[in-house]
Amino acid sequence: MRGLYPAPTENVEGCSVLDKFERFNRRLSDWFEWVGLAGLLVIMAITCIDVVGAKFFCWPLLGAIDIVMLVQIVAIAFAASMALILGRHIQVEFLFNLLPRRARAVINSIVMLLGLGLFMVIMWRLSVLGHLLQTAGDYSATIRIPYYPFAYGIALASIPVCLVFLLEFLKSLTKKRVQK
Amino acid sequence: MSPVAVGIIGIGLLVLLFLLRMPVAFAMALVGLVGFASLTTPEAALGLLGRDIFDTFSSYPLTVIPMFILMGTFAYASGISKRLYKTAYAWVGQFRGGLTIATVFACAGFGAICGSSTATAATMGQIALPEMKKYGYDDALATGTVAAAGTLGILIPPSTVLIVYGYLTEVSIGKLFIAGVLPGIIMSIFFAATVALLCWRNPALGPPGAPVSFKEKLRATTGIIETVILFFLAIGGLFLGWFSPTQSGAIGAGGALLIGLARRQLTWQSFFDAGKEALRTSCMVLFIITGAIIFGHFMAVSRIPFVLAEWLGRLPIHPMAVMVVIIFIYFIGGFFMDAMGLIVLTVPIFFPLVKELGFDPIWFGVIIVLVGEMGVITPPVGVNVFVIKGIAPDVPLETIFKGIFPFLVALIIVTIILVTFPQISTVLPSFISY
Repeated sequence: MRGLYPAPTENVEGCSVLDKFERFNRRLSDWFEWVGLAGLLVIMAITCIDVVGAKFFCWPLLGAIDIVMLVQIVAIAFAASMALILGRHIQVEFLFNLLPRRARAVINSIVMLLGLGLFMVIMWRLSVLGHLLQTAGDYSATIRIPYYPFAYGIALASIPVCLVFLLEFLKSLTKKRVQK
Repeated sequence: MSPVAVGIIGIGLLVLLFLLRMPVAFAMALVGLVGFASLTTPEAALGLLGRDIFDTFSSYPLTVIPMFILMGTFAYASGISKRLYKTAYAWVGQFRGGLTIATVFACAGFGAICGSSTATAATMGQIALPEMKKYGYDDALATGTVAAAGTLGILIPPSTVLIVYGYLTEVSIGKLFIAGVLPGIIMSIFFAATVALLCWRNPALGPPGAPVSFKEKLRATTGIIETVILFFLAIGGLFLGWFSPTQSGAIGAGGALLIGLARRQLTWQSFFDAGKEALRTSCMVLFIITGAIIFGHFMAVSRIPFVLAEWLGRLPIHPMAVMVVIIFIYFIGGFFMDAMGLIVLTVPIFFPLVKELGFDPIWFGVIIVLVGEMGVITPPVGVNVFVIKGIAPDVPLETIFKGIFPFLVALIIVTIILVTFPQISTVLPSFISY
């Protein structure tokens, strides 16, 4: 699958720093994705155990829905940065591709900056929500799992997403400078 | 400035961000956040952002999406798609255009265990295109068929697009799934008939394959047993009320995994690859739903959907004329946007109107999925076409689009049939209660 954004230009001053930054992002996102994958497989396993237990042994797994709901947060949030790197988010491409390279680089830098801003706000608001849930002592309905670590988890998972947007913003700036 | 005016500016800004290639999910979240803040207070908007993300990511009804996507990727990794194609080929391969007809039916079969059109096209394309090339099939026919038949993946249950539609509109996912069965079968027959007609007019397009004995056909039929078992276990269990949609998806994913293990097809590498593939797609879908929910809150406070519903409801024209306009908007929108993006963006706007005009929400869901299918195979944003281009890089894009045209006509005819006879999609849901 094609990546969302092109690789950094070779022979550009400072590209080695960007390359290092990109490699770091990739590795961090990869680790986070493994956590997300573990979450996804746990969801499947817990639900299957719950169904088989309930249907065949009249023994449903206590709190299965609570676990599935909360683990889903981990699965989705921790996969976000890798999905972004691999260009898995739906985009409307037809007009953008008709623009000249320089215009594309300018637009890309604006879009990356907007994305960075959005995810910084998300990180902040999820940290605030986590704090609110912690102080209010909110728990899941059946097996009383505290909610707050999962809100903090989304905030944590937003860090590599912000780094990906920052990297792409810097890459767009570099490209503009090269074209000048 | 009135809330409606702010809403209209917001929609304009959203379209601009789409054109600037901002990912659909993030654009909707950003415009929704800013728009909601301007119509209420920044504190309320920021509070809503955190809550919406947390609530959507932890939504149990949405767990159905990763589970059905996982079922599809495990089914592919388990080699089910290859065996399906072999079975279909054994039965129809010896006819003119037989390989392409086999591809249509194999896509329909794979659609019954996979909820994504892109995944269906990619999976069957990898298997069918080399075979069709080997037998001298016309490039346009071969690539056009796979791209078009791949769309059956989002019509035949399970369907990720129908799940998302059901979640946004609070329509039963079980009923939506079963509503897609008859239209999916009709669509498959129409696609197969299109191939037969094209090859009848020009036999050089699809030369017949080698004859297969009846014994061999029966032997090849064993290749669909696991698909049938998986479909009846997961989707049948859902229709019969044994499982909730999420449980049905998890059982399907677990079943596909067990088949892969029993067949010794799964390696650790293919297992992790399938899991990661499902995770990335699920992440994309859940982010887009989150964006749509945030944007939907903005639309709700702008009152645009209600004003639009009220205004169109009062117009002295037949409700069906309004529906035709809505369908046309989806048709045009599909040229520029993926079916999932189009539906999450427009459903909050059009759904109140559809209800106000007295149309069946289940029927409407099936119709917009059908029209959305057209979008994934038409330029300039035909996702399936790009997927097929990736599999067959030597075939020019124009050739693929040329090959798709007859199937687009078939899709339009089926849509007209379903609009004229809504019972086709509403009769089966009336038999189930879930």
